[in-house]
Amino acid sequence: MSSQRISRIAPRESATLHREHVPDKPLQRPRGRFLLDRGASLPLILPATILVLIFLVGPFGYMTYTAMTDLSYANPDQNGAFVGLDNFRHLVRNDPIFWHSFWLTIRFVLVAVGLEFVFGFAIAWLIWRFVERQRLLTTLFLVPMMLAPVAVGLIWRLLLQGDFGMVTHYLHKVGLLSQSSAVFSSPSLVMPTIIAIDVWQWTPFVTLIILAGLMSLPKPPFEAATMDGAGPWRQFVDILLPLLRPIIALVLLLRAIDAFKEFDKVFILTGGGPGTISELLSIYAYRVNFKNWDLGYGAAVAFMVYLVVLIMCSVFYKAVYWKSAGAAGR
Amino acid sequence: MPRSNGNFRALSMTAAFATAALLIQTAAGNAWSLEEAAAPYKGVTIRTIGEALPPLEAMSALAPEFEERTGIKVEIEMYEHSEAVSKVMLDLNSRRGRYDFIIQPHRELGKFVTNGNVQPVDAFLESPELRDPEFKPEEQLYQGLWKEISWYDQKAFGFPFTALSMYMWYRSDLLTDEKEKEGFKAKYGYELAPAKNWDEYRDIAEWFTRAEEGLYGTALQGKRHEALWYEWLNFLYSFGGDMLEANSGSECGPVIVNSPQAIAATEYYKSLKEFSPPDTLNYFWDDVMALMQQGTVTQLIMWNDATYAVAVDESVSTVVGKMGFDMVPEGEGGRVAQAEGWTYLIPTASKNKEAAYLFIQWMMDYDQQLRQHLNGGATARPDVYASPEVQELPYAKASMAANEVAKPKPTLPQSAQMTDILVRELSSFLADEKTAKEALHRSAQEISALLGSCAPMKYPVE
Amino acid sequence: MNRSYKILAVGVLACILVIALTPYIWMLLTSFKGRLDILSPEPRWFFTPTFDNYPAVFIDKAYLPLVMNSLVISIATTVLSICIGAPAAYVFARNDFPGKEDLFFFFLTTRMAPPISIAVPLFMFFTLIGLTDTIYSVVIAHTTFNLSLVVWMMRGFFAEIPKEIDEAAMMDGRSRLGAFVRVIIPMAAPGLAATAVLCFILSWNEFLYAFILVAFEGRPLTVGIPGLITPHGTLWGQVAAVAVVATLPILIFTFLVQKHLVRGLTFGAVKG
Repeated sequence: MSSQRISRIAPRESATLHREHVPDKPLQRPRGRFLLDRGASLPLILPATILVLIFLVGPFGYMTYTAMTDLSYANPDQNGAFVGLDNFRHLVRNDPIFWHSFWLTIRFVLVAVGLEFVFGFAIAWLIWRFVERQRLLTTLFLVPMMLAPVAVGLIWRLLLQGDFGMVTHYLHKVGLLSQSSAVFSSPSLVMPTIIAIDVWQWTPFVTLIILAGLMSLPKPPFEAATMDGAGPWRQFVDILLPLLRPIIALVLLLRAIDAFKEFDKVFILTGGGPGTISELLSIYAYRVNFKNWDLGYGAAVAFMVYLVVLIMCSVFYKAVYWKSAGAAGR
Repeated sequence: MPRSNGNFRALSMTAAFATAALLIQTAAGNAWSLEEAAAPYKGVTIRTIGEALPPLEAMSALAPEFEERTGIKVEIEMYEHSEAVSKVMLDLNSRRGRYDFIIQPHRELGKFVTNGNVQPVDAFLESPELRDPEFKPEEQLYQGLWKEISWYDQKAFGFPFTALSMYMWYRSDLLTDEKEKEGFKAKYGYELAPAKNWDEYRDIAEWFTRAEEGLYGTALQGKRHEALWYEWLNFLYSFGGDMLEANSGSECGPVIVNSPQAIAATEYYKSLKEFSPPDTLNYFWDDVMALMQQGTVTQLIMWNDATYAVAVDESVSTVVGKMGFDMVPEGEGGRVAQAEGWTYLIPTASKNKEAAYLFIQWMMDYDQQLRQHLNGGATARPDVYASPEVQELPYAKASMAANEVAKPKPTLPQSAQMTDILVRELSSFLADEKTAKEALHRSAQEISALLGSCAPMKYPVE
Repeated sequence: MNRSYKILAVGVLACILVIALTPYIWMLLTSFKGRLDILSPEPRWFFTPTFDNYPAVFIDKAYLPLVMNSLVISIATTVLSICIGAPAAYVFARNDFPGKEDLFFFFLTTRMAPPISIAVPLFMFFTLIGLTDTIYSVVIAHTTFNLSLVVWMMRGFFAEIPKEIDEAAMMDGRSRLGAFVRVIIPMAAPGLAATAVLCFILSWNEFLYAFILVAFEGRPLTVGIPGLITPHGTLWGQVAAVAVVATLPILIFTFLVQKHLVRGLTFGAVKG
């Protein structure tokens, strides 16, 4: 799989990228040298591998098999007979709701993660440039992402409730929302609101990681650029962004993976409605699995989700890291 | 099709005679005693699961009494509605038998029965050791409700834990206010009174909608949630529509969910949106409950077992003493209500079926039913409704009337999927994504495809 | 000029902080409100506080043991994740072997599997080996899903420690394992703490596996929350009380290890 090749390249590129500017650290470790021999490393790495194999790969394999059966806990006629790729065929050809959810999820991931990135980056940059004592501030910024997802959904349900929601009240008051409407009863506002809440919840995560990246930036390239007479904007575009590229890639990747699996908030806030306006893939998968108990078909849906995330991440990873390697002059 | 549920008065008379006869019998020394019947199971612990609501809390308060008499310990797990259902599905399908008996919504019944997960109760009823001769479900329960809630394919699988239905809640203080009456009559030409039909219901909703005062005519449970489907069923049935043409929940039949009556009902339902608070598409049962308790809404269709929290409990309600209750307004389909309930069931994998049966049987006793009902339950025993304490509750009359005309709904294995389809399509319709016709046609097509050859579409889509 | 920029920037940050924190503060206030204050159409910032919600849910509804359950599950998960994950991370940081990066990437991809569909197979599997309803099942599940994080973060921390230190320790006559346990682990302690806190948080906040795998007696707080949303009205005050209690330990821990948390998260990206 192509993703494996990328992964082999990526971490090392990023490592050298940073180490070029940190000469007091040892450079590339000699290849193929075993500091620990096999005898010593096997017992160290084996428990983790076995655990993952048994409790993750096992169930995942079983799920993949289930995806090729008609297993259902509800319908007595579907007793788990092998049906090959029928579920996938039906999913791809005859399931408009799946495709609706699919594109909705893609749009949700792009917009939400995009906004989180822009805001998170801006906030991180402001803190980095203008705030000296960051500890308490950053901890407070972290609050939204530290809350249990179930609690986040409920908090916002309370805040945006149309009759006694605090936020609704002030939206009405300043005229951002007409008196005769409420957020989750206005179909056109539902997805933007969900995205806004996601941005509220996860921007701190982007800020955190970008901030850490900014703080570990080497000084010399900037000093050299200043001597060459490059303005702050040029420095930002030509030096800062390329140096941060691995971290940007990382944060986008992590957020995209999690945004793709977004469930708790949306489920509590809208249940996928009104209609199918906010029916993300994970909500659809939940319905098929836990409402209809159509486990074979549900497994097929889940497998598709996994596949899409995997492909998306691989392609993305590849693109960003190759570019970053190019930018670093390799 | 409305189904007769027998005559309540006749039933309770029979029950009274039966009880009297039994008393004599017992006195004559035909001794069945709970202690004796339970002796072989002394020391056993039985476990059950249900929804975290007052009736279950009441049961939990009663259980120690049973334990004292029998030495059988009862452990009760209380979960949120859909959590309780999911937990049971997983338990039953793994056949590990964690639960000795379960308390589940009756719409789940078809799945359980056709997959062989639950046990018919006739074996227990026929066992002289287990059966309390005073327990006569065929006389002591609303027959229609019992058959609807706990039977499948003409076999009894349990007994009703709660017999639920929905009816109309209204603000009696507003509807009897002299000034309101005057103004209402001037505008609509007839006396203001609790709505008897849907035209009146809409007039009242319109009259009392005063957004600037924070008062609304009604509130719809319009969120994409099961609550929407439950509420809509009242309109569907009342307008003379139904989902399938069948005589009982376990029967399959032609799909009629897109009949002209159904379309009319659905369009009428949405027409109430303009008399509802702005956030009505975000409501499910908990929000309309809060609005009613706050006195924001004049009338709505709501559950009988939730009545207690609005009509009696002053710690949460500002409208105690100002509430009235009546049946759902009348439409082409007559005066009907929908039957819903949670039922006691005994899984086939249960390890203590007999002890579980003994507990259920004890819970179905008049005394326990009465105490559970007074603490927010909804009994299926007419004789409990007849007791003076229950008659005093402001909602007793409406509850009884609704119980007598409650209509069945599908309990087929695919019923949860049918509900899911309808909730989605109705929600689309409320959000102006589709017309009622499109939404119901689409539902009918999907349901027909889901159920297969037994469910052709009676109103084909052109 | 520069000074006015700074004032502007701090002003903007302060506004953002208000946005970030207001919902939580509202939750905190709600937990001290009676039902009528909560449902008031006009938001009430000042009100007569009631302390009824906390005892109502933690004592009357017996949610107090749920806090204990949450603690047991999260702590056990954290210990196990670190004990299993850290050695693996050490190998990744120190050794080159064929397929190493593939294995590393494999650990990362475990994050991509949608939990909703892994849950049922996992439940069946645990039933098969007789572990469902026990706390072990959920601890194992959480550990498995935390491993990717531990391996990824700790690899960075270990890579930061110069190899010469291992070698020196071994020259002092310690075995390799001894060197790892006695010398390297203490040196990586801050990073370890940060990783542990993250494991704790993920396990503490997790809902689905905890709901499906654990028995009623062992259910953690997150699983208890939905029980407060009933057809007879959501008990907002009690929901808020639970939410407040559920976030306290997390906020404290986060504050304590905040510095290392940031470093730990980014090491995975900047250090091979």
